[in-house]
Amino acid sequence: MTVSRGVRHLYVHLPFCAARCGYCAFVVEVGRLARRDAYLDALVVEIELERSRLGSLDTLYLGGGTPTLMRPRRIARLLAHLRTTLAPGAEITIEANPETVDRRQLEALCGAGVTRLSLGVQSFQEHLLGRLDRAATPEMARAAFRCARAVGFRSISIDLLFGVPGQSPGDVERDVEAALDLGPDHLSWYELELKPGSALQRAAVTLPDEDEVADAYRGIVGRLEREGYRWYETANFARDGHECRHSLAYWRAADYLGVGVGAVSTVDGIRWRNASGLDAYFSALASARPPRRSAESLDADVRRRERWMLGLRLDRPLDLAWAGPPDHPEAIDELRDRGLVAGDGEGDGFRLTREGRFVQNAVLGRLMEFV
Amino acid sequence: MIAVDQSLIRNFCIIAHIDHGKSTLADRILQATGAIEERAMRDQVLDSMDLERERGITIKAQAVRVPYRAADGLLYQLNLIDTPGHVDFSYEVSRSLAACEGALLVVDAAQGIEAQTLANAYLAIEGDLELVPVVNKIDLPAADPDTHARAVSELVGGRPEDVLRISAKTGEGIDAVLEAIVEHVPPPRGRPDAPARALIFDSVYDQYRGVVAFARVVDGVLARGARLRAMRTGVTFLCEEVGYLAPEMTPIERLGAGETGYLITGLKDLGDVRVGDTLTVDAEPGKEPLAGYHEPKPMVFCGLFPVDADEYPSLREALERLSLNDASLVWEPETSHALGFGFRCGFLGLLHMEILRERLEREYDLDLLATTPNVEYAVRDTAGRRLSVRSPVDLPPPNQIESIAEPYIRATILVPHDLVGAVMGLCQERRGRFVTMEAIEQRQQVVYDVPLAEVVLHFYDQLKSRTSGYASLDYEPVGDRESPLVKLDILLAGDPVDALSQIVHRDLAYGRGKMLVERLRKTIPRHMFEVPIQAAIGGRIVARETVKAKRKDVLAKCYGGDISRKRKLLERQKKGKRRMKQVGAVEVPQEAFLSVLEIGDDG
Repeated sequence: MTVSRGVRHLYVHLPFCAARCGYCAFVVEVGRLARRDAYLDALVVEIELERSRLGSLDTLYLGGGTPTLMRPRRIARLLAHLRTTLAPGAEITIEANPETVDRRQLEALCGAGVTRLSLGVQSFQEHLLGRLDRAATPEMARAAFRCARAVGFRSISIDLLFGVPGQSPGDVERDVEAALDLGPDHLSWYELELKPGSALQRAAVTLPDEDEVADAYRGIVGRLEREGYRWYETANFARDGHECRHSLAYWRAADYLGVGVGAVSTVDGIRWRNASGLDAYFSALASARPPRRSAESLDADVRRRERWMLGLRLDRPLDLAWAGPPDHPEAIDELRDRGLVAGDGEGDGFRLTREGRFVQNAVLGRLMEFV
Repeated sequence: MIAVDQSLIRNFCIIAHIDHGKSTLADRILQATGAIEERAMRDQVLDSMDLERERGITIKAQAVRVPYRAADGLLYQLNLIDTPGHVDFSYEVSRSLAACEGALLVVDAAQGIEAQTLANAYLAIEGDLELVPVVNKIDLPAADPDTHARAVSELVGGRPEDVLRISAKTGEGIDAVLEAIVEHVPPPRGRPDAPARALIFDSVYDQYRGVVAFARVVDGVLARGARLRAMRTGVTFLCEEVGYLAPEMTPIERLGAGETGYLITGLKDLGDVRVGDTLTVDAEPGKEPLAGYHEPKPMVFCGLFPVDADEYPSLREALERLSLNDASLVWEPETSHALGFGFRCGFLGLLHMEILRERLEREYDLDLLATTPNVEYAVRDTAGRRLSVRSPVDLPPPNQIESIAEPYIRATILVPHDLVGAVMGLCQERRGRFVTMEAIEQRQQVVYDVPLAEVVLHFYDQLKSRTSGYASLDYEPVGDRESPLVKLDILLAGDPVDALSQIVHRDLAYGRGKMLVERLRKTIPRHMFEVPIQAAIGGRIVARETVKAKRKDVLAKCYGGDISRKRKLLERQKKGKRRMKQVGAVEVPQEAFLSVLEIGDDG
């Protein structure tokens, strides 16, 4: 009999927001803060329903929404509930919006055992924050960061965006310098995508020129690397030891459990997504039933393709024994000649060169079929 | 039953420039004579194909019989033979004319005489048809019937006051038209007792009934149940049914001298009863076939390739089916290095090509790539052999070519005086040679001989746009002429792409090459690597552009909840790429092949 060690990564979705941002297409609930305590109670019920799947948790991630709209005391109670499930040294991350945090709250979260804070800054330029419907000012972002440091957070990440309509090359440089000034341990720096369902997409804004965005991206990567951050994933940078272990679990195609409205789980080759409606979620869990879910079964081919899709995002070589063979091995020589991939699958493994990482989709498209 | 008295038969057609109201008038005539009930009347009954309705043009000739009691109290049999109204189909016009004794010449009361009015009127006069001039659309605010009636009467002879003034739209003057047909169109003068002879002016393939021939009986009688013979092909068949269109198929026992109708042959191959052939009775054949028509000659050629190689058999099947009803469509298999297996197809003209392509895509659900249209070149090589080249790929290397001749057309363009300069400019750019110019009505008739190859590349669109729609065009082939032509090749990432090659005039090759690489640069997406695009003449590079390499191609975020979405996004992107053609390492979107076609003002 094989003994499964159980799922080691738990994602908790906290959907409440004060407002929806222009670029956002996540599952969020605006203006229903009165239900936030009841929501945490329901979450605990869902966790208990899935208890048998859980092993010793290496990471716990509280994402949103705006998790810092939840009362710190109630977050502490959730963590206490999971205390015996969390492995020693577990990474516990919470996402925070600068305008929603204060010192007492940060102290409470730190004291409750949260080890890592991910601060959603997006930009330090006022005109861009306005464009993105962000409520915080650059000053609030700086204050929140310094406060988090002061109360004892030893791993703080900053979320930023590039490729924002109206963002000049100078804006990007100023953002990089402003971020570096704070000395974060980790940065997530995404290109803005016009997601279906977001206000920006509906407004049909014009994105900046492709070459300009490429320049911004390359500039950010170069500057952060010179400052000692490792470009360990397509959009993520970390000082040694500060990589986000929870995210790494996704990129290494590990199993994870997600609870809360709209949360996604992948366990033993099945991926399911909880329905997104808050009321339906409450009523299901009030009678101790799982929320409505949609599921897909990941067959061996899909898993192989996902491992390639995810694995090539990382800077470490892709272990072919783990990922499986590419659909088009004959393309490897051409890609190597073009300086986009290195390694042969033996020893050094197979990895993208720096140039290859910037065009990883195209490389992936040559290697894998995705039908 | 004896045959209908020929003196009570009138066979006529309507000739007009496109949009001058031919189809509306035809509908009115059917309605006024009670051939169709009001409520069963759809607009433009004669245009049966959907595409015809959409484009407002008539492709296939058809014949409808309508009974008409004239003012003299006698009941006449009027046979209205429809004619196509576009320059691509002048061949079909001429065969409709041959089945008639008269024609209504319709002119728009606001626009007056246009190029096709002239062309068709000349065809009718050559065919000894009696012309009944009609000025239509007198209800339009801009109508000027007097001026145009005067011009029409000058064209066909007669007095301006005898020109009928009508509105097919409101029905005004329709009775006068019908009376004029009876009065002015001569009755047929065939020999009812002679051996049967009937001219096939159209044939269609019906999937249930086989080949249906439309014929005009000249001499004798064709009866149901008789064994008939097509005189040129020698094919015989038992005539299963004869009848006329009213406009639905109405079977009768026989078609007598002077009558027009259909015959169901039971044959499976349209080639057995060709348009222009003469039908006779096998047991008592006529001596000589009637004068027929020229075979329709394809003028424009292009390669059609399925985007998805698996659709090749479906494309073949679709072409076979379309050929059943369209003798002018010719095709043969073609293999392109870049595009794989497809067919080189020949068409009467650009419109014909567009219509067929649309039908293939729409009715047969095929995704097609069409290469640049070209014409048929007569090449003499250094060994003295003569070759017909329908595809640039088949052009021998320059050192083996003695001479190349290309087909010319005589373009007759009618245009207001102040726009003559624009028209002449266009004709000059397109290597036209001036022939004549004369004033007709308030306009100039400008005649140029232009290489057909230049006409097929959006000449008509350009003519319309440079004259704000005021110019009208008609053309006829005037034979081949020698030209200094060269092959212009396009190279992508160093490899020639045969499907993008063109045959062009030496003096224009450089400019065309520059324009093409510029167009392609705009349509070919960025790749992981630089894609040089070059134009070459005989191995010498004359123009170059580069599609820059991609510098960024990543999915920004990818976390737990996103993984399936991102995977599906990649799947969609991959599907999108299926609509591109992989040419070597380069992915070429369909628009790239089309962009080669577009020669705008920058061309």
